[in-house]
Amino acid sequence: MQREQNLAEAFVELADTLVADFDVVDFLHVLANRCVDLLGVQTAGLMLADQRGQLRLMASSSEQSRLLELFELEIDEGPCLTCYHTGQPTADTNLEQPDARWPRFGRQAGAAGFGSVHALPLRLRAEIIGVLNLFCAAAEPLRDQDARMGQALADVATIGLLQHRAIEHRQVLAEQLQGALNSRVLVEQAKGVLAERLHLGMPEAFHALRTHARRNNQRLSDIAQAIIDGTIDTTHFVSS
Amino acid sequence: MSADRRARVLALLSAHGPGVDRLCAACVAHLPGISGAGLAVMTTLPASGTRYVSDEASARIEELQFELGEGPCVDAFAAGRPVMVPDLSGRQYQLRWPAFAVGAVAAGVRAVFAFPLQLGAIRIGVLDLYRDRPGGLADEEIADALVFADTVTLLLLAEDHAEGDWQVSAYDEHRTVVHQATGMVMAQLGGTIRGAFDRLRAHAYAEDRPLDDVADDVVKRRLRFDQFTD
Repeated sequence: MQREQNLAEAFVELADTLVADFDVVDFLHVLANRCVDLLGVQTAGLMLADQRGQLRLMASSSEQSRLLELFELEIDEGPCLTCYHTGQPTADTNLEQPDARWPRFGRQAGAAGFGSVHALPLRLRAEIIGVLNLFCAAAEPLRDQDARMGQALADVATIGLLQHRAIEHRQVLAEQLQGALNSRVLVEQAKGVLAERLHLGMPEAFHALRTHARRNNQRLSDIAQAIIDGTIDTTHFVSS
Repeated sequence: MSADRRARVLALLSAHGPGVDRLCAACVAHLPGISGAGLAVMTTLPASGTRYVSDEASARIEELQFELGEGPCVDAFAAGRPVMVPDLSGRQYQLRWPAFAVGAVAAGVRAVFAFPLQLGAIRIGVLDLYRDRPGGLADEEIADALVFADTVTLLLLAEDHAEGDWQVSAYDEHRTVVHQATGMVMAQLGGTIRGAFDRLRAHAYAEDRPLDDVADDVVKRRLRFDQFTD
């Protein structure tokens, strides 16, 4: 029952974000966190295709730099890259055993304490626009219900990202994806400003940014822009 | 950057750089579906200047947007995302940019694809591609246009630098830690976000270290930029 309740809460929270002032960075952040709650995994990361042939990290359930580095390593070599190319769920269910397809990534993921990693595609009809990446402590495949729910969450991510129904227009897809990718960069830059000004770590800086955005009903990227432009007073941004 | 994309960027720079106008000319030559290109440079609206136009129609596009303060280029810059217009005679575009659409179509422009040149809050201009007949860009063309836009962005960012050798070093400007460090350096030095990015790159270049290594030092608070006097 608890899991069903968590699931219901997750979908309500996600649906709440699919409104007029859609905040893509926040949406993906919520989704990544909900994956951890719902799927019994330790860390979740969302990658988007940058339309130049490469994946980029868009959101992570953890701000720890070593985990971000691991995600970014996997962009060049790992199950998530294979998933992106094949469009099929791809996993390494035992990181202790080296896999010739991703030797460096496998070693680092194992050294970070994970037992397995699972990549699920974000699909838009025939196209793969990104990957949902899940890291687990256990060295085993995902349970069927977790694999299904994981794919459902990946599909929710896709729907949330692409709010136009007529996505046969490649142009709209390009606009949305590139806009989302740049919004994330903007948010990361603003985190740096806050971290420095308020003497915070990056996770606390992100939390302060989100708290302010939610309290004032504004988009993360709009607050981020204001922080960088200097049009907002950050001295009273809370960190807890 | 994936190895493939980095290779494409480096190849373009070697073949056509460091002059940004030569790179834009190469973009037009390399994208068969594109009739022309214009490069507008600005840090805020309105555009401060046109760095390149390939022909009269491109010049007219830049002129109209500058004079009227409306158009796909203006919207792309303001919104921080590409604006792709497969047919300017379409009703929704005529409604969105009434004066621009009429003027551009009269100049022989039927489709416009505006790519903002940016890295988060660092916004330096827009690359406007146009076509003299209606039609959208295919996936391959979008990918190529984005790579050209990235390369133009890197070139423009390097221009202010006394980097002698403007060569794009082996860094990936899209690492999270680089963006965070940029923000921190901006808070340390004051000034602009672009200035902060320039200082980070200059330091990496002077120390002959990868940019993301330097950025990591900044984020881990092993390196600050307000202790330097230059």
